[in-house]
Amino acid sequence: MSLSPAPRLTAAAIVAAGAIALASCSGGSAEQPTGAVDPDATLTVGLQLEPTNLDIRRTSGAALEQALTDNIYEGLVSRAEDGEVVPSLASDWTISDDGRTYTFTLETGVTFHDGAEFTAEDVVATLDETRSDESMIGFPSLQAIEKVSALDEGTVEITLSEPNQNFLFLLTGPAGLIFDADDTTDMQTAANGTGPFVLEAWSQGDSLTFTRYDDYWGDPAGVADVVFAYIPEATALVAAGLDGSLDVLTAVEADLASQLDGAFELAEGETTDKFILAFNEQAEPLDDIRVREALRLAIDHDAILERVGAGEAQYGPVPVLDPGYEDLSDTISFDPDAARDLLEEAGVDDLTLELTVSNTYPTYLSTLLASMFADVGVTLDVETVEFSTWLNDVYSNADYELSLVNHVEPRDFDTWTNPDYYYALADEEAFDEVRALYAEAMRQTDPDASAELIAQAARVVAEQHPADWLFTRSDIVAIAPGIENFPVSATSTRLDVSDVTVSN
Amino acid sequence: MLRYALTRILLLALGLLVASAVIFGALRILPGDVAQMIAGTEGTPAQVAAIRAELGLDRPLAQQYVEWIGGVLSGDLGNSLLTGASVGSELVAKAQVTIPLGVLSLVIALALAVPLGIVSAIRRGRPSGTALTVVAQLLAAVPVVWAGLMLVVVFAIVLGWLPAQGFPRAGWDDPAAAIRALLLPALTIGIVEGAMLMRFVRSATLQATGEDFVRTAASKGLTRSQALVRHGLPAVGLSIVTVLGIQIAGIVVGAVVIEQVFTLPGIGRMLVSDVGERDLVMVQGELLVLTGFVLIVGFLIDLAHHAVDPRQRERT
Repeated sequence: MSLSPAPRLTAAAIVAAGAIALASCSGGSAEQPTGAVDPDATLTVGLQLEPTNLDIRRTSGAALEQALTDNIYEGLVSRAEDGEVVPSLASDWTISDDGRTYTFTLETGVTFHDGAEFTAEDVVATLDETRSDESMIGFPSLQAIEKVSALDEGTVEITLSEPNQNFLFLLTGPAGLIFDADDTTDMQTAANGTGPFVLEAWSQGDSLTFTRYDDYWGDPAGVADVVFAYIPEATALVAAGLDGSLDVLTAVEADLASQLDGAFELAEGETTDKFILAFNEQAEPLDDIRVREALRLAIDHDAILERVGAGEAQYGPVPVLDPGYEDLSDTISFDPDAARDLLEEAGVDDLTLELTVSNTYPTYLSTLLASMFADVGVTLDVETVEFSTWLNDVYSNADYELSLVNHVEPRDFDTWTNPDYYYALADEEAFDEVRALYAEAMRQTDPDASAELIAQAARVVAEQHPADWLFTRSDIVAIAPGIENFPVSATSTRLDVSDVTVSN
Repeated sequence: MLRYALTRILLLALGLLVASAVIFGALRILPGDVAQMIAGTEGTPAQVAAIRAELGLDRPLAQQYVEWIGGVLSGDLGNSLLTGASVGSELVAKAQVTIPLGVLSLVIALALAVPLGIVSAIRRGRPSGTALTVVAQLLAAVPVVWAGLMLVVVFAIVLGWLPAQGFPRAGWDDPAAAIRALLLPALTIGIVEGAMLMRFVRSATLQATGEDFVRTAASKGLTRSQALVRHGLPAVGLSIVTVLGIQIAGIVVGAVVIEQVFTLPGIGRMLVSDVGERDLVMVQGELLVLTGFVLIVGFLIDLAHHAVDPRQRERT
């Protein structure tokens, strides 16, 4: 999960949005590029969410993965914009018929940024360390591994205790990144990877700077330098775009995007960011499925999408980009009358519920929900907290009634199979069914059959109304003329800029 | 004088010690912890516990406090829980933005407040004096955030004279760019703080007008303005210094806010994000240094007062 980029100073943002709207007619006239690609160019990308430190093995966070994966660090495999698993340090791999043994053929001529050679031993050492040290972020992901061994200098074999359909995908995340076994780099503030860029500088609270790694084993990066400029306030980010200091802006607020139109090309990318309104099934009267369904019936998803300005409706736990997606709009509709009837049937009136929401999200979401719930006779008290408080109260202690949070991780359906997760299903029969279906899906060796089982499990979850999936976020990316190949999909967790070129 | 200074230094040290305990205690009341932030929403409870143990957060609070204070006394503010960076060197790095910002803000505030305050006092009752007072009242009431955004719209976006946000990556290696980056934020704080200071200068000037020695001077043939400038203002100067002490605290607070608005990598911005991430060792160090700064400014002003004002000297 990450904090959705949203203004800390919302009131100020509204004032500035209006003011910038007035002023924008005079802003940002881009120079016309001549068309020649400049290999010495610097690419400056404006982002909202900065990594908290650079130790990708020991710190979770979408911003960290977004910046460092594929650019600085590489895994055996990586993933394309559409979520498909693609080769990286492993040029090729085979999976045994029983789905338990993965044999990876490694790329040759790979070196770490400090000059050390990349070997099969590095793969074994890294994966063994990650799966045995509980404080490592990748630790849970690698528990399926029984053994990792180097067959020869260029081949690594991984044996799983049982087949795991998700295993290769897990290797595309932080759990699968490969580090130099003998490295002594302080990973909190420096980096030593095999990727197309070298970490040049980190100015905390401001920017990350990468430079092209000249000895890179693959195709050299398209630009000489990359600056990830972190500008948390949505309006300040747009202002920086307008004053010409950025080549690309990611995660632009839909409200503000029109200010950039003309000077930038606006692209809308898909993400796996799910805005989940979770209902605590342990708390009365939310333990009554009729009450949960009534709340979902009261939510006008079209109105939310219209206000958010970009994104798509999502009626179940699986977003479009993930395996097992199907349209579950038949499981719920917008029907305030039916909601009122159900609440009456459940015998609740004068219901007041508390919504715990992190202050990193725009307040209009809670305001919209409060008015929709008020329409069916439910009072919504909005408790706005810091993200760290949310993590403590809601995530760790499940001490909440309603919670709203943006879960960005791709393929995170397994949260619905964790009985201790903050939004766990209370209905034992349904929960057991979901668990069994998902476990079966993971054991499948055929991806399609696996996806089919996940879809079935997702339907069971959706019909329990444990949460409402308000929407899947779309990422608005503003790209200046002359910038080519900038990724636009799933950029909140992965932003590979090695192919990007700049024309002058 | 020496005895007075020594007493004040002892009080200052005591103040800092109390502040350190309050800071340490107050931060421990905050819900959530950095281990949870590090583990994120994929982290298991066992993972969070492992991270807590590794960071030493599972030790008794008293032990953590004593170790922290011990470090501070030997000049070591500790290391960030999140990044491992030294708190001291991070503070030094960020101070290179915040201190120039504060100084520039103060200069702007003074440059506005002193002449305009005196003019508005001299012209009391006349339309120009009233207009100045009203404008100062209005500006002093403007929230710093709003003032900043308005300046951005006018000077950065419409006119394009100054950058809308950020600090040059080269830092002070490029002094012109660094100063350009600080101008709008400093102007924002300077105008708002200056408006408050101006009201004070005006009332202090008016008060001086009523003092016997000014009236005596006026009776000897000087005009009221001449009497005020020659005899009244030196007396006003001292009380302005006192108010400046309070203004400096206001500027520190203003810097915390304005660094957010202008995305300046200074101490204020660092403080806000460190609190959010529960990097308590960083926050402790930052707050202690800021508290120390404000206390020391107060101490110096008291000392200056004591040295200049004979009435105070007699009392000790």
